[in-house]
Amino acid sequence: MVFEITEEDKQSTYVILPAYNEETRIQPVIEEIARRGYKMVIVNDGSSDNTLKVIMESQRKYPKSIYIYSHIINRGVGVAMQTGFDAVVRYNPKYVVNMDSDGQHSVDDLENVLKPLVTGEAQAVIGVRPLEDMPLSRNFANAVMNLLTKIFYKVDVSDSQTGFRAITNEALKKININARGYLISSEFIREVNDNDIPFAEVPIETIYTPETQAKGTNIVEAFKILVQMIRHQF
Amino acid sequence: MLLYSILVPIVGIIFIVLFLVRYMKGKSSLLTVFLWALLWIIVSLFAIFPDSSSYFAKLFGITRGLDFVIIAVFAVLVYTIFKLYFKLDKLQDDLNTIVKEVALNNEISLDDKEE
Repeated sequence: MVFEITEEDKQSTYVILPAYNEETRIQPVIEEIARRGYKMVIVNDGSSDNTLKVIMESQRKYPKSIYIYSHIINRGVGVAMQTGFDAVVRYNPKYVVNMDSDGQHSVDDLENVLKPLVTGEAQAVIGVRPLEDMPLSRNFANAVMNLLTKIFYKVDVSDSQTGFRAITNEALKKININARGYLISSEFIREVNDNDIPFAEVPIETIYTPETQAKGTNIVEAFKILVQMIRHQF
Repeated sequence: MLLYSILVPIVGIIFIVLFLVRYMKGKSSLLTVFLWALLWIIVSLFAIFPDSSSYFAKLFGITRGLDFVIIAVFAVLVYTIFKLYFKLDKLQDDLNTIVKEVALNNEISLDDKEE
């Protein structure tokens, strides 16, 4: 039987989209999510281009679906997510989803990551990207990060660096995110694990373009994350 | 007397005076002024009496006086870098808190665009 989310659950699902210099990519993502009946909390992370203007244009089309918060300066995806989590609780959501705003993730996967939450199978979900579609350098960095997450955070997952995750409101209240940059992905998994939150992995589609590959966890980011993981041990 | 034996104590005195001024303006703590003054007094003494470094070197089992001075300077630099790193880290956290607060207190709505 094909899973279909109810209108009521859709209405109480909020998607957090952190956005930094995404003026050319974010609009189709936002409007597709809005068309499907989900609500969004979008955090503009001090973009130097017209990202905020583009988001506001979409808000004009879907005023009841889009809530915007904006950092006055760029502070990194981790801080943008912290703002997103703090903002989303104001709307009393049932489910909170986080995905990238650059079109790397397919909106079709929203129902897939929500399914374990709605059915009660899990309270937190990560979307696992297919390794075979991943560029070699990204694949290697991801393997390193999975290993580091296992060593430092004692959690074994298939994709520790995914930006597609979902959590129930109840579980969200238990976790504490302090990461500034891409460490947020591993930190989210650690918090879920440390708080004994039932957890599931769901395969997702990833759309790689030269633009989407420019961001994310590469070797340099992996090194920065390693330094932060070491610091967190003390 | 060699040139550096004169220059180093002069530089030392300038720095001590600068730190005293900062203390009087309330920008530095008394402990900070004391530690920096102590450092510059020691450096100046080594410059005026270069042979004294050999005495301290032997105390720590180091062969040459110059090696002792280099190691001591290295230790001070490492300490300073770490102190600055942690201070910077704290400032980053403070800045993040401010940026988040400002964003959360100013949700952007359609009315903002029309203003």
